[in-house]
Amino acid sequence: MSATQQLTFLTRYSLTLSLAVFLGAAVLLPWVGAGPISLARVLQHQSPDYEIFLQLRVSRTLLALVAGGALSLAGTLFQAMLRDALATPYTLGVSAGASLGAVAVIAAGWETFLGVPTTWIGALAGALGVLILVVGGAFRRRRISAFSLLLTGIAINSICAAFIIILGGFAGISRSFSIARWLIGSIDATSYVSLAVLTTVVLLVSATILTQARSWNLLAVGERWAASRGVQVGALLLQGYVLGSILAAGAIALTGPIGFVELIVPHLVRSRISPDHRLLMPCAFLLGGALLALCDAIGRIVMPPAELPAGAVLALIGGPYLVWVIRQRTSAEEI
Amino acid sequence: MSDLIEVESVSFSYGSRSVLDSVSFRAGEGEFLALLGINGSGKSTLLDIVSGFRRAGTGSVTIEGRSQSEWSRREIAQRVSHLPQAVHADLPFSAEQLVGMGRYPHTDRWFESDEDHKRIRAAMERTSCWAQRRRSFHSLSGGERQRVLLAACIAQDAAALLLDEPSTFLDIEQQLHCFSLLRQEAQEGKLCIAATHDLNLALTYCTRLMVLADGVIAHDMQVTEAHENKEWLGRFSKRLDMGATPAGSPWVWYR
Repeated sequence: MSATQQLTFLTRYSLTLSLAVFLGAAVLLPWVGAGPISLARVLQHQSPDYEIFLQLRVSRTLLALVAGGALSLAGTLFQAMLRDALATPYTLGVSAGASLGAVAVIAAGWETFLGVPTTWIGALAGALGVLILVVGGAFRRRRISAFSLLLTGIAINSICAAFIIILGGFAGISRSFSIARWLIGSIDATSYVSLAVLTTVVLLVSATILTQARSWNLLAVGERWAASRGVQVGALLLQGYVLGSILAAGAIALTGPIGFVELIVPHLVRSRISPDHRLLMPCAFLLGGALLALCDAIGRIVMPPAELPAGAVLALIGGPYLVWVIRQRTSAEEI
Repeated sequence: MSDLIEVESVSFSYGSRSVLDSVSFRAGEGEFLALLGINGSGKSTLLDIVSGFRRAGTGSVTIEGRSQSEWSRREIAQRVSHLPQAVHADLPFSAEQLVGMGRYPHTDRWFESDEDHKRIRAAMERTSCWAQRRRSFHSLSGGERQRVLLAACIAQDAAALLLDEPSTFLDIEQQLHCFSLLRQEAQEGKLCIAATHDLNLALTYCTRLMVLADGVIAHDMQVTEAHENKEWLGRFSKRLDMGATPAGSPWVWYR
């Protein structure tokens, strides 16, 4: 078997498996919840099973799959750009900007604008503001580097965190609780129109990112390394930051700043399947979506009738897992 | 011998600190040029400028008779391969994956072709690192890493190889092997420019010596002329002197 054949076999195997997990989650997880749903009643469009299944379970499962995939891919992208397996959309300030925007509208008491939840508008506006500030601040002498992006991102992150605390302090008890809950991140039933918009944006942006997978490989080794192999480093970094921010902001607008998925999944795929972004990125997207949907399903059944937010479930599973992974690493793998 | 690279009046500053001041030189196919100079003399900066990673403050670089700015980034990479001084590769790429990245400028395929894999294997065998191909790059020793990086440059199949201290971390046998391999590349028609601190390796394997000092090319000579005027040795240390090996080759030693 030649090297190409081996690679193709590995590609097909890991991608097929990841796709099977993703589709399995999409088909099975809507059936998981506090109360049982009858397949027969759903097929016969009988209330309330039909409405619960279609309006609540399916929509939130699809939202979790798309948002989880987007966050996981954004994490993978930022990790390649910053050459750091711990980099996430939070590191570069995007999540903090989106959170500040959403927290601002919650604190102001605005709920909807033209029928659209204002948290979505606030999160997108906040992420866009941070995007402009970070990119503008990172440009030096008409050049942009991962290091300047990182430093500017961290600075803006801290500023946003400070404003979130200040707004929380002035918001009153009821709104402070809403802010705290939103900041944990959760998957709620959403309209199919919103879901279609998010899915379209996420698929288009993800496809654009994937077409550059070979360039992300080079950038993950180093900027000078990538440049001397033909990559336009500055343009690629800028493109990566903008596309990654759109993915993260789109997901966060609908779910809140859910953490860990963008850290755990890329790490798992990188160490178990391949660090090659041609495989890593599609697998991270598919498995990230499946993991978030699974966490949301677990949150629905652990303490009925109350629901645990998906972000909390993910943190409870992901935190110990990450510690375990770090303890399993050999000294040669320390980075 | 035609000029592959022509550097004309190139200057460069880091803020107010001038590193290169109107540097000019030409180099062509078949040459193995040693870029010499003390720490901070601008060797790495000059290689960065020739490879296109840094833009010169003033002056111009011409590659194959055409201005560097007229080539696309990828076209430059097809002609000039650059081995930076330090590559960390913190994410766990295997040695083979890293060498495979050398094929990037030559293909638009999603995965490498069988021809690419043949070249990758040949490059790794030439630098004696094929046995480590499946190992993660960051689990390799310093010397093994350097051989993998050199293989990546060879797999890139460019007409000019710019190498920033290619013998760093290598044991003596591997240093000899590395410079011997580069000389072989030059004999096969490539241009090799290696920044190095090892004067004896340069004298033994290179065809031409270029000494950077005070921002300019202070000395530019064929290796065969190196023993005629020992002034260039003073650029490194006053304790250096030059004799000859029993075979008659020039040899630098410390007083």
